[in-house]
Amino acid sequence: MIAARVTPALSVHGLRAGYGNGGDIVCGIDLDQSPETILAVIGPNGSGKSTFVKALAGLLRPRAGTMAVTGNDVTHLSPAKRVMAGLAYVPQEANIFRNLTIRENLKLATEFLRGRTGVGPAQQAQVMELFPEIAQRPKLLAGNLSGGQRQMLAFACALLANPEVLLLDEPSAGLSPKFVGETMEAVARVRESGVTVLLVEQNVSAALRVADEVMVLVAGRKSLRVPAKDISNADLADLFFAKAG
Amino acid sequence: MLAQLILNGFVTGLLLALPALALTLTFGILKFPNFAIGSMLTLGSYAAWIGNSLLGMPLAVAAIFAALAMAAVAMLSDVLVFSRLRDRGSITLLVASMGISLILENICRFGFGNSTRNFVFDVARPTRWHGLRINQEQLITAVVVIVCVILIQLLLYASPLGRAMRAVADNPSLAAVRGVERQTIARITWCLAGCLTALSGVLAGLDRAVDPLLGWNYQIPIFAAAILGGLGSPTGAIVGAIVIGLAEELSSLILPTNYRQVVSFAVILGLLLVRTQGLFGGKAVRK
Repeated sequence: MIAARVTPALSVHGLRAGYGNGGDIVCGIDLDQSPETILAVIGPNGSGKSTFVKALAGLLRPRAGTMAVTGNDVTHLSPAKRVMAGLAYVPQEANIFRNLTIRENLKLATEFLRGRTGVGPAQQAQVMELFPEIAQRPKLLAGNLSGGQRQMLAFACALLANPEVLLLDEPSAGLSPKFVGETMEAVARVRESGVTVLLVEQNVSAALRVADEVMVLVAGRKSLRVPAKDISNADLADLFFAKAG
Repeated sequence: MLAQLILNGFVTGLLLALPALALTLTFGILKFPNFAIGSMLTLGSYAAWIGNSLLGMPLAVAAIFAALAMAAVAMLSDVLVFSRLRDRGSITLLVASMGISLILENICRFGFGNSTRNFVFDVARPTRWHGLRINQEQLITAVVVIVCVILIQLLLYASPLGRAMRAVADNPSLAAVRGVERQTIARITWCLAGCLTALSGVLAGLDRAVDPLLGWNYQIPIFAAAILGGLGSPTGAIVGAIVIGLAEELSSLILPTNYRQVVSFAVILGLLLVRTQGLFGGKAVRK
């Protein structure tokens, strides 16, 4: 009941999105996410998870609906302006500049975001504390990092913009099981630092370990939204397969 | 004799370095080979000729005038043509650049006729140094190109704008999320490419004479240089240009000079067979 009075960190209403002249991939999603929580968005392949998060990040123009970050409407903003409004995004695989050094990647994270409150040395120190390993070799080309380290660098770059909401698109994709665990721990640390996280994830069990709430997408629609602890594997199997289509 | 050929080849290579750099920059950011590079060079040399011969500017001032004019022309071609086709794939953009090439070349013919023109510029005696003959034009070319190359390297590797350009070349959608607008960077890159080709047009006009096919003579060597260096790699373009220049001059030891262009074709052919990424292309991390 308390959640109803707090302004949602991320609020989405009637969102529809798709590519080119094709049909809607995201078919009207409503969502209010409380501050400082992790919401895992899961669903079978092709359920529109990535499209949903791309539309939130502004890389895909929504066809209908509205989006707000901490109560401020961002529906018509460009991706960069959304970052300024407090919405950071870590894309699925190509989430760092491979041919730039680690230091250049970190510099670029805020260089063109002048005026965003809270961006500066203090934020940088806080982020570096969360990911100590990436500051060690600043001159290394980011493309030479291992998958797990790349993920950490990508998180760090996104967090340097001092976001209210962090959108993560399948951070475990392409990682070995050991790194999946580390990555999810990093996601939990990010939430503890006061950031709201929307986590799109294919690896359901990994996502459920850290998530507070779960939203299941099937065929571009929200088919379930429950606290993470209330969900069982049997429910998921039903949702993924029986209700698809 | 050999030392003289090497010197000449080095300077020829330097002359190719600026347009090769322009070609590789636009390729890196816009992902298509700009076939209009030769005619941009030609138009640049005519712009300098207008400033120099018709308006009475000293050649250095006329060169700056030409650089600004070509920056505007390159920007205009982006606004009118390339930006509208941005998402249509590299082949469409390549064909569009061929069209731009024909338009620019015929603007030159229509405006100035087919006859050759020369800059108003005092000819000086070549300097002799340890038996080498160094022309004044060669000295000018070397100084101008080396200064430009240093400035471009500083821009790319030591300035926020350069970082943004490299970021867009690497991953445009991630750059957008970081607040770097692709469109702005594309326009700046076109301006830069226009300036570089105009300056090389002035140097080429000094070396030969200004005529509507001036740039066409350099088209294949420019492409060979940029491909040799690895398209998209600025350092590679410079090294590639010097290698092509040297190879062209040294080929005169074994080939008649009117077969010079064969060298560039041979280099492109060789690269396609053995090392498609060029000399420096492999350095870019692609995994």
